[in-house]
Amino acid sequence: MTLSVRIKKALRSSGNRRNSESPGASAAQPFLLDVEFDVPPGFTILFGASGSGKTTTLRSISGIVRPDAGRIAINGEVLFDSAERIDLPIRRRGVGYVFQDLALFPHLTALANVEFGMSKVSRPERRLRAEAMMEALRISHAAGRKPREISGGEAQRVALARALAYQPRILLLDEPLSAIDEATRRGIISDLKSINRELRLPIIYVTHSRQEAVSLGERVIVYERGRVVAFGEPISVFGTPITASVARLTGVENIFTGQVVGKSEDAGTMTVEVSDATGACHVDVPFGNQALGEHVTVAVPSGDILLATEEPRSTSLRNRMRGKITAIDEELNRTVVRVNAGVIWSASVTRQAVSELALSEGQEVWLAFKTHSCYLVDRSS
Amino acid sequence: MAEIDWFPLALSLRVALIATVFVVIFGVALGWLLARRRFFGRELLDAAVTLPLVLPPTVLGYYLLVLLGRRSPIGQAIEAITGQSLVFTWEGAVVAAAIGALPLMVKTSRAAIASVDTNLEDAARTLGESELRVFWRVTMPLASRGIIAASMLAFARALGDFGATLMVAGNIPGRTQTAAIAIFDAAQAGRDNYALVLVLILSVVALVLVYSTNKLTTGER
Repeated sequence: MTLSVRIKKALRSSGNRRNSESPGASAAQPFLLDVEFDVPPGFTILFGASGSGKTTTLRSISGIVRPDAGRIAINGEVLFDSAERIDLPIRRRGVGYVFQDLALFPHLTALANVEFGMSKVSRPERRLRAEAMMEALRISHAAGRKPREISGGEAQRVALARALAYQPRILLLDEPLSAIDEATRRGIISDLKSINRELRLPIIYVTHSRQEAVSLGERVIVYERGRVVAFGEPISVFGTPITASVARLTGVENIFTGQVVGKSEDAGTMTVEVSDATGACHVDVPFGNQALGEHVTVAVPSGDILLATEEPRSTSLRNRMRGKITAIDEELNRTVVRVNAGVIWSASVTRQAVSELALSEGQEVWLAFKTHSCYLVDRSS
Repeated sequence: MAEIDWFPLALSLRVALIATVFVVIFGVALGWLLARRRFFGRELLDAAVTLPLVLPPTVLGYYLLVLLGRRSPIGQAIEAITGQSLVFTWEGAVVAAAIGALPLMVKTSRAAIASVDTNLEDAARTLGESELRVFWRVTMPLASRGIIAASMLAFARALGDFGATLMVAGNIPGRTQTAAIAIFDAAQAGRDNYALVLVLILSVVALVLVYSTNKLTTGER
C-alpha cells in the first residue's frame, strides 16, 4: 500500500485558518503549495512551520479541499487527477483522518463516535469493531461518556479509535499530540507505534515537534511555504540540515553568517569568522570548496556544544572558546545556556549539568564543539 | 357574557400547525442551501425569501391572490387536482400564514446550520457517510436547538397572520375566519369582551413561545 501525492494549490490567505498560533506576517501572503512525494507504509512525518501547507495537503488527500492540479492515488487507484477530471468524493476515499481539533461529535458518546460511519457494516459487527478498537487504545472505560466529559488524552484516543475502526487504507494525523501533556503523549506515541507495527498503513503525521518527529518518524518531509525543502530519515534530515531554514525549523539554534578567512586542506578544516549583533568570533568548520572571503552560513546544533568551567585541554575538539553566560533558559525537558563568546551561542544541557557545574548568569565558562558539528548551509531558503 | 365562539381560535391553531409543518420542511431545506452551498444568486435568494418580513401584508396577499387565482397556471393546476380553488378557503389561509412565517424559519435555521462546525461534517464524510446521512446524523442534531426555536417562532408568526390571510382566505365566519380576523371583526362590531378574550389568549401563547425560544437559543448548552 503506497500513497502517491502530487498537489498544486494556490493558498490565498493563511493556509491554516483554524490555527490561531500561526503568525499573520508570513502566512498571510499568498503562495503556491507545490509538492510531490510518495508515502510507503509506516510513519511519514510532515514537518514545518504553521501555514506552510501541511494541513492543506492532508485536506487535499482526504478530499475536503480540491487541489488546483495534481494527482493523488493509493496503490495506483486514483483518488484525484486533474488531467483526467477524477475527484472521488470524501466518503469513497477510504482515508482515515484525525483532525487537529479532533472533530469528535459532541452530541454522541465516545462509543457512538467510534461506531460512527461503517454504515455498510452490520450493527453487531460495528459494535464489536468499535469495542475492540477502544480496548486496544485503552479507552473502554470512557465508552459511555460524551466528548466534553473526557480528558484531552482520552479524546485523542477516541478520535484515533474512530479513524481506525473504519479500517482506512491510509491514516492522516494532524498534530495529534499538540495539546497533550508529556506523560500522556509518550503513552500515545507508544500506542501509535504498535498500531503501526500491526497495520502497516501509510501514515502521514503532521507536527512541528522535533521530538515527535524523531521518535516516530521513519521518514521526514520538511515543508517551507508550500515546498518540500528536505526529505529523508529523521536522523539525516535533522542531523545535517541542508539549508538555513531547515536548520531553524528543526531546532538548530546556532545559525550565523560569516566569511571564510582561512583554509587548510591538510588539516581538513576551514576557519570562518562568524558574527551577530553582539560581535564576532572564529570557528573551524569542515573543509569545503568555498573560496577564501566567500560568505557562508554556519549552523551548530545546540546539543552538540559542550560546556566546561575550565579550559578543556587535550581533547580532539577543535573549537574551544571562552565566554560569559548571559542567560539560562529553562525549557520543557532541557536547559538552554546562552553564552557570549564574541557571538551569542546557545548550548542545551540537562538540568543536572547546570546544578553540578553550578552555572549561573555572568559566570565565565568554556564552550567546545567538534569541527563536524558545524554545518555550512545554503543561505537561500 | 354571551356564548364564546371558539371556532376562530381552533381554526387559527389548525392553520398555524399545518403551515408550520410546511415551513419547517422548506425552511430547513432553504436554510441548509443558503448556509452550506455556494451558488450564483445565493444572497438574492435569501433576500427574496426575506421579503414577506418587510412587505406590507396586503402586497403579499395580492401576490398570493394572483398566484393562486383562477387565471394563474398554479391556481389552475391546484383546481384541476383538488377540484376547488384555494382562494377563500381555510387552506388558502395556510398558504398565506406559511409564506408569512417562512422568512423567520429560513433566517434562523440558516444561522443554526452555519454555526455547526464544518469539520464535524467533513469528519463524518471521511467515515464514509453520504450527504444525506451527514445531514441527519451530524448537522441536524447539532442545529436542533436553533431549528426548534425557529419552528416555534414560525408557529407564533403563523398563528397571528392577518393581512395576507384576509386577502387570500377572506373573512367567512365559521369557515375562514381565523382568530386574528375575528378580533378585528369583534372590535369593529363593538363586541369588546369577545375581542379581549381572543387578544389575551393570543398574547399569552405568543409570550410563552417567544420566551421558550429565547430560553432555547441563549440558555446554557
